[in-house]
Amino acid sequence: MAGVTFDAVTKVYPGRVVAVRELSLGVGDGEFLILVGPSGCGKSTALRMVAGLERISEGTISIGGRVVNDVPPKDRDIAMVFQNYALYPHMTVEKNLAFGLRQRKTRPDEVRRMVDEISRMLGLEDLLRRRPGQLSGGQRQRVAMGRALVREPEVFLLDEPLSNLDAKLRVQMRAQLKRLHERVGVTTIYVTHDQVEAITLGERIAVLSDGVLQQVGPPQDVYDHPANVFVAGFIGSPPMNLLEGTASDGRVAVGEVELDRVRAPDGPVLIGIRPEGLRPVGSDDAGVTFEVGVDLVEPLGDEVLVHGSIEGLDGRVRTPGADDGLLAEADGSGSTVTIRLPPEERPPAGSRLRVGVAPNAVRLFDPATGLAIDAT
Amino acid sequence: MSSITAPAPTLDEPLDLAYLEGETGMVERPRRRLLPFDPWHLFLAPLAFVMLLPLVWMVVTSLQTRAQTLHFPPILWPGTPQFVNYLDVIRDSAFGTWFWNTTVVTVLVVASNLVLCTLAAYGFARIRFLGRGFIYFVLLATLMVPLQVVLIPTFLIVKQLGLLDHLGALVVPNLANVFGIFMLTQFFRTLPIDLEEAARIDGASRLSILLRIVVPLSLPALATLAVIQFLWTWNDFLWPLVTILTNQGAFTLQLGLATFQGAHQTQWHLVAAANIMSMVPLIVLFLIAQRYFVRGIATQGLKG
Amino acid sequence: MSAAAQDVGTVTRFRRFLVSDHVAGWAFILPSVILIVLFGIVPIVWGLILSFQRAGLISPEREWVGFENYARIASDPKARQAAINTIYYTILFVPISIMLALFVAHALNRKIALIRFYRLAVFIPVVTSTIATGIMFLWLFDKNFGLANWLLGKVGLGPFGFFEDPNQAMLALVMMTVWGWLGFDTIIYLAALQGVPNELVEAAAIDGASRWTTFWRVTWPMLGPATLLLVVWSTISALQLFDEVFFVTHGGPLGRTSVVVFYVYRLAFEQGLGALSLAGYAAAIAYVLFLVILILTLAQFWLGRRVVHYSS
Repeated sequence: MAGVTFDAVTKVYPGRVVAVRELSLGVGDGEFLILVGPSGCGKSTALRMVAGLERISEGTISIGGRVVNDVPPKDRDIAMVFQNYALYPHMTVEKNLAFGLRQRKTRPDEVRRMVDEISRMLGLEDLLRRRPGQLSGGQRQRVAMGRALVREPEVFLLDEPLSNLDAKLRVQMRAQLKRLHERVGVTTIYVTHDQVEAITLGERIAVLSDGVLQQVGPPQDVYDHPANVFVAGFIGSPPMNLLEGTASDGRVAVGEVELDRVRAPDGPVLIGIRPEGLRPVGSDDAGVTFEVGVDLVEPLGDEVLVHGSIEGLDGRVRTPGADDGLLAEADGSGSTVTIRLPPEERPPAGSRLRVGVAPNAVRLFDPATGLAIDAT
Repeated sequence: MSSITAPAPTLDEPLDLAYLEGETGMVERPRRRLLPFDPWHLFLAPLAFVMLLPLVWMVVTSLQTRAQTLHFPPILWPGTPQFVNYLDVIRDSAFGTWFWNTTVVTVLVVASNLVLCTLAAYGFARIRFLGRGFIYFVLLATLMVPLQVVLIPTFLIVKQLGLLDHLGALVVPNLANVFGIFMLTQFFRTLPIDLEEAARIDGASRLSILLRIVVPLSLPALATLAVIQFLWTWNDFLWPLVTILTNQGAFTLQLGLATFQGAHQTQWHLVAAANIMSMVPLIVLFLIAQRYFVRGIATQGLKG
Repeated sequence: MSAAAQDVGTVTRFRRFLVSDHVAGWAFILPSVILIVLFGIVPIVWGLILSFQRAGLISPEREWVGFENYARIASDPKARQAAINTIYYTILFVPISIMLALFVAHALNRKIALIRFYRLAVFIPVVTSTIATGIMFLWLFDKNFGLANWLLGKVGLGPFGFFEDPNQAMLALVMMTVWGWLGFDTIIYLAALQGVPNELVEAAAIDGASRWTTFWRVTWPMLGPATLLLVVWSTISALQLFDEVFFVTHGGPLGRTSVVVFYVYRLAFEQGLGALSLAGYAAAIAYVLFLVILILTLAQFWLGRRVVHYSS
């Protein structure tokens, strides 16, 4: 019925700014897809092109199999929730909900019925007579969603709808959104810069950077098998540890330590290990181990993050996107790795910790291209 | 807009008042193109023509000879521009004096307003003192009272002060304008108070905080006030008309221009030249400081 | 220092601090307040007093006559004529200038080629003085040599008397003042239009509204505050029209453009500076106008608050 297909879609702004570059992506009918990436990566632009709010420079977008490049927004049967909700301030909640239906000349009794149904579903019945100015942020957000859903669109577009809510409300709304999607089942494209939101909400996530699609897949897949250094660093918090190593004769080594069960073509290689992939081991463990000097311990309640330096690896640890001046070295690369531990294993600051690498926790990347290398 | 480096004059809304460059509020709708250009040009071009016509025609007239001006149908281009008309105006009338008078009065009034309104506005905005609310309310109430009500009494007061028929009559009553106080008070209130509080903790006096911290952050608002006050004072006609009665040496530009036109009724080439000369300073000021004019008017509007 | 003495010291210091704030506040506002009291508040009160007197501008005559001045207004045919002319002008000027400004602002609110030039052309007349504008239009509308009659003749209209024709003079004044004020009104509307969040227009587009519906049901309501302001401001300005009448038509022809403020001026400063003591009468008329303006403004605001929705 209504999947959405991007076919080599490109958007160029005047001044030759390329916001989206040859994006090809398919959203299945009824699927919940999340476009995620840092600010300026093109995700909102891509969404707005589906809505018809931005012209498409090259390529085509199809909704339900029909190319919609030249179709105005109102004829695309889409609905959108804006970041700032865009509720009509001078209309009551009820009029806001009914506006789109009335524009389509829906019969008044139909309008009445659909508005009632939606307000019941979203808990808006008591708010119908109020104006947006009299509502709280969370209530406005629900009205915005209601206005979009009441028209029973084929595609539901959301542009960072939760970013204006406080943290607690955001978590609640995330759950509600998920439940809503399970119930209504409409094709949804959701844009966010928050990778936690992306992983928890999406059936599939599409990671974008600088207008280019980096990877698309189910959240767990993207987390476990990042396609390149960018995705490895962007998805997952704290980011994946990246160590500079070398491969020769098919064996991969970081400094003095050689990693087993890992192979790569000769040459320099980036070794990625997630914070939970480094496990403390006894000092007499025979496997691959590193000595870590504990610099800083961050207790988070349900877990502990340990930041420490690995002996003999000065300048070899490259933590992606680490602009944290306190931990990084002056030249940008550091020697600090991050380890995730359960709270009972919390080490004292200043102590030494011996960690081993969990099985299958190593991801290899080519330093020149940033792309993942098959590790086995 | 960042609130430290580029404060908006008074508003909470995210308006780009710099030169109203912002977004159009329109959604691009794919549409067939019938014309090679945007159809709005068909409205805007004639509109621009109508708006500029009086000015342009005045310029043309000022460069014609008398005979050419009194020709019907009108001659659209003078052939050889008669710049001498401008010299004739200056020579045969007190134009220079009028211009000078207006300049002096305007500069004094603008400078005085900048100083006095800033001081007063800072007092109202940031200092808690007895009677503050009441006085502010009374001052604002005077804004509601139209000019013709105070015209006669103010005339009498000025007469009592012995300023009648002198430039003093034009300067003294306008040294502090309530609108300026109002505008700056609103503006100062939008500045983050933290900076001033930090300075107080550091021991700075109120005056020094005003001069060293608040004023530098308020330059756009002050520029706006200066520009608006300049415009009002330069173009003022009624008050000079009423107070400068016989002393031709104290005529302002507007007054002089009006009498010049009265005296040279059919010499349109000269009247035009005088008119153009009187408008040039403001037009130049406008071209340089457009954003402040625009901002000033928009502020008047949106805070009214 | 004993504990008691220390306490007294603190209290004194505290009191001194409080006093210094009051002193400081007054110091900052005093110069302005003195000037405004002298040239703003005193005249307002004095004007009221004058209106109850028979007073002269040059002569020191001050005779208390109670409400006689006010009563005289009712039987003064010139006052009535001034009132009618003023109302006529206002009824024409206010709606025309505002609706035109709305349309022009809408036209200017787009990014097309030459838009900066168009905006400039609309805004520049704002800086021309009333006299300069008067001269420009006197010349344009000159019956014999003016460009207007020539252009109109080309399309088969006219020639018109404009300022010299008793039936056309007021209309010509309206045209002239609309030209002069268009830039001002347009700037305000343009700023208001740009204050309409783009997202609202987009949401309306997605909801299926046509351009007209979007403008009428989404944009226009959000222009409420600006419209109210312009209506109030324009009405007040229109009721106080003076410069143009004085300079361009001097109340004529045949008194058809004599407006209230012009009449006040004549009474006080033309006839009054002669031997007649009409300052009090003039002040009374001025006060009546003030009252009318006040009531009208309050009515407009009251009406406006009920109709205008301020977005929070």
